[in-house]
Amino acid sequence: MTAAQLQALPLQDAPPTWTRRLRGFGAVLPALVFVLLLFVVPVLALLLRSITEPTLGLGNYAAFFAGTTYLKVLGNTFLVASLVTGASLVIGFPTAWFLAIAPRRLAGLLAGIVVLSMWTNLLARTYAWMVLLQGTGLINRALLGLGLISAPLTLTNNLIGVTLGMTYIMLPFMVLPLTSAMRTIDPSVLQAASLCGATRWQCLTRILLPMLSGPIASGALMIFVMSLGYFVTPALLGGTANMMLPELIAQLVQSLLDWGLASTAATILLVLTLILYSLQVRFFGTRSTA
Amino acid sequence: MLLTYSRLGGLRFVLCGIGLTVGLFLLLPILVLVALSFGDSQWMQFPPPGWTLRWYADLFDDPDWIFAFLTSLRIAAWVTVLSVALGLVTSFGLVRSRFPGRETVRALFLMPMILPVVVLAVALYALFLRLQLNGTELGFVLAHLLLALPLSIISISGALERFDPSIEDAAVLCGASPMEAKIRVTLPAIMPGIATAALFSFLASWDEVVVAIFMASPDIQTLPVRIWGVLRQDLSPVVAAVSTLLVALTAVLMLLSAALKKKDVRA
Repeated sequence: MTAAQLQALPLQDAPPTWTRRLRGFGAVLPALVFVLLLFVVPVLALLLRSITEPTLGLGNYAAFFAGTTYLKVLGNTFLVASLVTGASLVIGFPTAWFLAIAPRRLAGLLAGIVVLSMWTNLLARTYAWMVLLQGTGLINRALLGLGLISAPLTLTNNLIGVTLGMTYIMLPFMVLPLTSAMRTIDPSVLQAASLCGATRWQCLTRILLPMLSGPIASGALMIFVMSLGYFVTPALLGGTANMMLPELIAQLVQSLLDWGLASTAATILLVLTLILYSLQVRFFGTRSTA
Repeated sequence: MLLTYSRLGGLRFVLCGIGLTVGLFLLLPILVLVALSFGDSQWMQFPPPGWTLRWYADLFDDPDWIFAFLTSLRIAAWVTVLSVALGLVTSFGLVRSRFPGRETVRALFLMPMILPVVVLAVALYALFLRLQLNGTELGFVLAHLLLALPLSIISISGALERFDPSIEDAAVLCGASPMEAKIRVTLPAIMPGIATAALFSFLASWDEVVVAIFMASPDIQTLPVRIWGVLRQDLSPVVAAVSTLLVALTAVLMLLSAALKKKDVRA
């Protein structure tokens, strides 16, 4: 082949020409049109309704922040998200630690359980907790049987139920990334520290925890953001007294047909999510939530 | 030391205890589901007083459940096919070319994954009210495709980035047309990524409930919508039977995914 013939071949590492750039954009175009029409336009239209319905202006936002009803929902959303994040952190850290260093077969078994629970249908998991936590459920009967309580506790339709059910769902999102982060730490770093006279407590608080502060904060932030937007589990395990923002939005649309206020609540949820997500990207880089 | 299991001393037993407790905590609901689905207590007594297949019989005798199952399956199948096809073309565009604004476009494609689903559901509901797409299978497919597409793009463009394009060039140098080289060289090499995309796309639609609640009408319901509807009324043991079947399906898909991962690493 001559040099001219080689040049004419459509190779990948040839310098990008205008036609190749256009072809690349053409390949992206169908999906782009799809996402613009079914995502960007409807979401922007929804956000717009918060200032146009029923009349132009910020009336909906004034109404949202004026009474205690909606502020209570907002506060409750933050409360549940914080509790779930805290619980996932406290339970997730030692679990990830164990997973990272346990003998292979034991760790493999536990990791399998974590992944199975994560992949099980969300409604199936929530349903199982509804059954477990009901007045005559396994948890209450076990506590009664052990003599720890004298009458069944109310565990569903309140904060306990929703926190427990959501922590169950969020825990894998803390355990799995934290485990892989811990596996990348060289154990000899800790050996060096103890040779230099550090106690175990110092090894933990001065070396291990600081080395893991990135993944811990990133996992916590991700769980917090995901919890803010969760709908199914709070609706089934939390009850109306503990309503969260997503359920409020659904009710405003489906039962009250108040699109203006629903869009306002949706905008607030969206802005909160985007702020927290951009913090995540800024400080910890992108990571898929899948 | 702290990261060496055999040298942890007493702490080892503490960690081991926590690990096993968490394992039990994660496994308990799944075990309960399976036990309840075979238990003969209408009131979800646990452990069940006796065993029965009654709830499975009820499930398979109820045309509503069968219909919901088939609807879910049909919608998820469409979503899988469309999501993989669209994801494949888009990934080639994103990975192999340098058009201006490429990073913005890539970020835009991933956005539907970040947004709270309920916001997306309400926005689509409003749009579909206008287009009269609520309560149609087309509406379900379009809405679920939006949620599946980011997963598909991530899996396929990931596989494509790991594949060295000069191998495709070698095929072209040997006389293949660019299209032929893509189909016969690149496509088989990124197959594990495509299969992962298909798996995630299927699950994104199959398990999806929030958008589906808004799209559903009395005439058309997916399986999750039907479960949701039943759960809002009472804790029927039939739901345990459905859930057990879903757990079994999950376990199968998990094994499949593990096999794919192994293959992807080897490739």
